[in-house]
Amino acid sequence: MDDETQEILNDFLTETTEMIDGLDQKFVELETQPDNKDLLNEIFRAMHSMKGSAGFLGFNHLVDVTHRAESILNKLRQGEMAVVPEIITVILETVDTVKLIMTEIRASGTDVKIPVEAMSQKLDDILAGKLSGTATAPKPPVTPAPVATPELSQPTAPPPPQLGEILVNEGLATKEQVFDALTEQSKQSDPKQPLGELLIQAKAISEKALDQALQKQEKHPKAEEDATIRVETRRLDSVMNLVGELVLGRNRLIKIGGVLEQTHETDPQVRALSETLTQLNLVTTDLQLAVMKTRMLPIKKVMAKLPRMVRDLSSKLGKQVRLETHGEETELDKSVADEIGDPLVHLVRNAIDHGIEMPTERHAARKPSEGLLRIAASQEGNSIVIRIQDDGKGIALSKIKAKALQKGLISEAELAGLEPREVVNLIFLPGFSTAEKVTDVSGRGVGMDVVRTNIRKMNGTVEIESEEGKGSLITIKLPLTIAIIQALMVEVERATFAIPLSSVIEAVRISKSEIKTINGREVLHLRDRVLPLLRLAKEFAIPTDKERDRFYVVVAALGDRRIGVVVDELRSQEEVVIKSIWEYLDSIKGISGATITGEGKVVLILDISELVENAQAWHASAMVA
Amino acid sequence: MIVEEKVPGQVQQGAGPSGTGKSGDDLVQFVTCRIAHEEFALDVLSVQEINRMVEVTRVPKAPYFVEGVINLRGRIIPVLDLRRRFGLSAIERTDDSRIMVVLVRQRMVGLIVDEVVEVLRLPKVMIEPPPSVGSTAGAEFTQGVGRIDDRLLIVLDLNRLLLPHEQNAMEAATR
Repeated sequence: MDDETQEILNDFLTETTEMIDGLDQKFVELETQPDNKDLLNEIFRAMHSMKGSAGFLGFNHLVDVTHRAESILNKLRQGEMAVVPEIITVILETVDTVKLIMTEIRASGTDVKIPVEAMSQKLDDILAGKLSGTATAPKPPVTPAPVATPELSQPTAPPPPQLGEILVNEGLATKEQVFDALTEQSKQSDPKQPLGELLIQAKAISEKALDQALQKQEKHPKAEEDATIRVETRRLDSVMNLVGELVLGRNRLIKIGGVLEQTHETDPQVRALSETLTQLNLVTTDLQLAVMKTRMLPIKKVMAKLPRMVRDLSSKLGKQVRLETHGEETELDKSVADEIGDPLVHLVRNAIDHGIEMPTERHAARKPSEGLLRIAASQEGNSIVIRIQDDGKGIALSKIKAKALQKGLISEAELAGLEPREVVNLIFLPGFSTAEKVTDVSGRGVGMDVVRTNIRKMNGTVEIESEEGKGSLITIKLPLTIAIIQALMVEVERATFAIPLSSVIEAVRISKSEIKTINGREVLHLRDRVLPLLRLAKEFAIPTDKERDRFYVVVAALGDRRIGVVVDELRSQEEVVIKSIWEYLDSIKGISGATITGEGKVVLILDISELVENAQAWHASAMVA
Repeated sequence: MIVEEKVPGQVQQGAGPSGTGKSGDDLVQFVTCRIAHEEFALDVLSVQEINRMVEVTRVPKAPYFVEGVINLRGRIIPVLDLRRRFGLSAIERTDDSRIMVVLVRQRMVGLIVDEVVEVLRLPKVMIEPPPSVGSTAGAEFTQGVGRIDDRLLIVLDLNRLLLPHEQNAMEAATR
């Protein structure tokens, strides 16, 4: 395949994927408002474009299904068939088949491997009015007015609005005038007179008005093209990397400038230098923000698949669920958007499967039979917060306690010391799952701990609050971007490490005598808590020269778990650019990446969640012993 | 001889010496370096640059032959100590010690060597397959042996440097 064909194919894949993503949501909307003709037209056009491009690129299987679906949609929008759930279900299945085909095309460049006969048959059945329960409108096929069947000539872009449409919208002609002219036009034999000419003849519009409308028609698709351009993510990534370099360079320059200022305070050159540095500092920060913005996507992209999922799931489980989404325009970094999809889907599944009760149960509990699932996204400071709230049955603390004890995740003494809020969050521990029965909806072994692990990978946190009988609220906090973070620099035996500030609660200075041992484990009594300690030097097998008497303890938290990381010195707080280290070293527990400091030194970034996990594993083994 | 900051030539990825001599009369160009008493040859096309020793950040729990990571103009690359990789005792770094930055499987890797010797051309025919019984240092990483006068050059197979030790030993044994 030559480059040009590949490029066309790539464009096709991107556009079609976008279209499909939009379709799911539109169909679900359509179900609630079956009379919305605009919506139907939009769906029809998308399907039509897909068919056109598929035909152009020779994907015949794709054409087979999209063509049939298009025919059905055409009948729907002309009122020859009624919009009933049965038809929507089959068309949604078609969309799924199209998704499957797209995946195959992406992988192999052809669609021949995906069988479409069964799907085509189903669609044919509907077209023939054979589907059981299909309320095919028994109306005689109306000869459609020409305006209702625009022959769309452009396969990819939505067609420009019809001239008649523009004239009516602009108030230059009335609907009746346009309709009359169109009727006139349809009576003519080829070659037909253009609509505009007919209208002028009928003295419905002036020539000036026609020019105006024609100009508008021409401009329409162009305006959108100019406002945005499509850029490969790879290119943005490399711009982001370069900005990262620039940030590091700036940090270094500022350090050097600072030293110079102290030693050559009166030198006018040095003063000029520090002024330039201030300016550079500002510009770099702005540039960094600007580049970050280019990578931002509205969370709508991720949420778009939820309505469909909620619909399918609730009907499958026989539950009634109303999905409410807020803050869909909240923007987040593409890398975060890519990663948050799966955890979000998992949490929504959980909420519907385990949270919201069956209608009868809800009725008995004096709740409306329709359950409410609310997903709200917002930006709070430097974080994106996503809240998933349901008004279901909530989580029974007693069940969690019993389960955690039974699975040996926690000791009875520890449990007694936990607040209710902390108890609920035990469900995020690996090996925990409250589902009494395994359904194919959720509870397939991938539990809440996977959700938490994925969120932590992005330096995010997840917490749950629940009230039995009233419902649950899950709060996810994510960084705006995962490329640049604030970090606390610590030192252990002259080796420097960076700890992401997002997980640091406080740092305290302690003396050796304050470290106590419980069950062979070192702990620190910090105010009213027993804080498990982890000595970085020991964990990383860094040889120690001499016994120290004083240490710093960095108290780190993930959700409600806390750990004290014992280090020798605290250095500074810095903005660091996360760089991946060689995949060869990726498997090393407790290190998530590296960064380059102002002095040009490489510093490893600690993965606190992995450290905590390790400490817990340690803890568990100590308890058994 | 010291070669500083060699300008990276056109990079031919993953090509062994056999693939590089097509232009001209079947000459292959190597950068040679010394580790202990052996002279090793690396295909010039995979060598990106040669640097003096810089501060290496140690990576806890990394394989024993990984010295750590360095900052190469904003990129973080791993550095292997070839002495340790070849099972030799470590020595103090000297003024001659160098980090050779090579491209292995499209990744930049730094190799610490005792000394960089020279860049030379060798007719392809002068390179023999490695001896079946490998007893010299780095035998399991040997791609071939070249001879000039009384000098013996061990042509390194860079791909193997990154494999776990055990896998190399097994592959070497079955060769």
